[in-house]
Amino acid sequence: MSVLTADSRRDLEIHRYPVLIYGLVPLVALVLQAWLPRLLGKYAWFDLPLVVTVYFALGRRSPIQGTIMGCAVGLFEDALTHHAIGINGIAKTICGFMAASVGIRIDVENKIIRVGLIFLLSLLSSALYIFVNRFLLGLALETDWFAELYKALGNSAIALVAFPFLDRFQLRD
Amino acid sequence: METLFERYRNLVVLLAMLLLQIVGLAVQVHRGDSGHMSLDPHDSKGVRLIRLWANAIVSPPERLFHSAGTSTSWLWQNYFDLRHVRDENKDLQKNLDRLRLEQAALLEDARQGQRLQALLNFQEKYIYKTQAAQIIGTSGSDQSRLFYIDKGADSKLERDMAVITADGIVGKVREVYPRSAQVLVINDQSSGAGVILETTRIRGILRGNALGQPQIVGLMVDSRIQPGERVLTAGGDEIFPRGLPVGVVEKVVRDPDQDGFIRVVVKPAAHLDRLDEVLVITSVEPRFPPEQTQDMATSEALKGGEVAEEKAQKKASEIMAERLPGLIDPSLPPDQQPLNDTSNPNPVTHPPMPLHPDRFTPGTDMSTGQSVTGGDVTSKTAPDENAAKKPATPPSKSETKPPSKPESKSANPPGKAPAKPDKDATPQRNP
Repeated sequence: MSVLTADSRRDLEIHRYPVLIYGLVPLVALVLQAWLPRLLGKYAWFDLPLVVTVYFALGRRSPIQGTIMGCAVGLFEDALTHHAIGINGIAKTICGFMAASVGIRIDVENKIIRVGLIFLLSLLSSALYIFVNRFLLGLALETDWFAELYKALGNSAIALVAFPFLDRFQLRD
Repeated sequence: METLFERYRNLVVLLAMLLLQIVGLAVQVHRGDSGHMSLDPHDSKGVRLIRLWANAIVSPPERLFHSAGTSTSWLWQNYFDLRHVRDENKDLQKNLDRLRLEQAALLEDARQGQRLQALLNFQEKYIYKTQAAQIIGTSGSDQSRLFYIDKGADSKLERDMAVITADGIVGKVREVYPRSAQVLVINDQSSGAGVILETTRIRGILRGNALGQPQIVGLMVDSRIQPGERVLTAGGDEIFPRGLPVGVVEKVVRDPDQDGFIRVVVKPAAHLDRLDEVLVITSVEPRFPPEQTQDMATSEALKGGEVAEEKAQKKASEIMAERLPGLIDPSLPPDQQPLNDTSNPNPVTHPPMPLHPDRFTPGTDMSTGQSVTGGDVTSKTAPDENAAKKPATPPSKSETKPPSKPESKSANPPGKAPAKPDKDATPQRNP
């Protein structure tokens, strides 16, 4: 794993996208996340909004943008559930921040690193979600950790395909 | 000089975002009466507005996806998969005819069941007014098991309406938007439905677990609960009507949180993971489709014919009763009518006198062997018979007495021929 200084990576490899992509891709991810479980049932082991959040946070390499992106996507996800609005928001805010912070320091073009990172961040997101529910809000919520593990694996698999696809929308100088 | 904010800009933004969301969460959660934290079942105006916006953004694409999927499916089924459809249509038509006949029979049974329920003051109805709806999306989270349907306030849906399928219950309407609604499924951890086990009649509350399985919680250990037992709605939650199928008991496990309690895992009757269309119960007033209404009218007409027939039979029986012998004899004066006869219509019959009475014979003196009242008895019951049977025996005092006149009016009513002795001495009732 190659480690570079933050300034050099930021200057060299900031990915830029058309403005429409920043709005459209998260929206498509949210719609698919809400629609696909209807077809796949209990086998919908993925979290597309998280994948998109991590992708943009890694590409933009800006913790602030990653934080805002994660917050917006998480709140949107919460709005589609019947839970309190902010639980997913907090989890994905931290994940977006972490992804951007890590993306500054490591080479995220490597596929193995990407997959490993999305796997760990998925578990972190699940842990934060449960932490907020149980300890911050004091709500009784049972958790199936195997499902969270499968979800992390699913996110990793999707990232393998989705990240190269989304890279096509980059603006090249 | 670099300020503190500029230096830790990223962290400050992160903390600010987190703080805002934590404050927002604190507003939405409150402590319940039992001391546990819980979410308000009904959203505040601000939260509802956010959900409304999110739903307004997501629903149109979901409808588009759903329509595209339906169109593709329609195209496949109607263009590529039309082989043997004519034969299938004939078979289906036969099945339809058979089912209509069965339906008519079942309808009559249903009506009988309704009448019995009304007698027992049950408020349940057999058929409910429902609104069909299609599922267009989900929450996207396995921690929040709910889905969105394509009917909302425009279709007069309201909160807390029950959502079912033909197989069993599905959930309840949690939130209603103008053209869509949010349905909380019974396998969500925050759902709740009153259920009853069909055989053991044990009641409980159904809610989901982390695996998305509905389970009955808060039950004491009971060995009578066995896998395979049917679970029905109990009707006490004022959402689900009583008696709807919920599922069958899959297994019984110990409650890890409470000693002495069990959790009954239920296999849902409805396929909660593969739902396409659902029915929302919008009213509990019975409403029959036109065909059934026509059948009911026919049934009522037939029933009316039966009633008329019963009336005719009753009238005929009354006419016959007037013609049959009665208690009024028009040929007799009022004071001699059999109706005014107060005597015993079935007089006591006595055994015939023995040919050789001794001291053990009833009615004789134990010491002397003389008859005490035997003459009276004999004379009352069968004077002619005794006189005919005892000429050879030495005449006793009682036997020397002349036969007394029968005292009973019924035995010899005035104006009538002498009554027959013994069993024939019943009052004559002539018309």
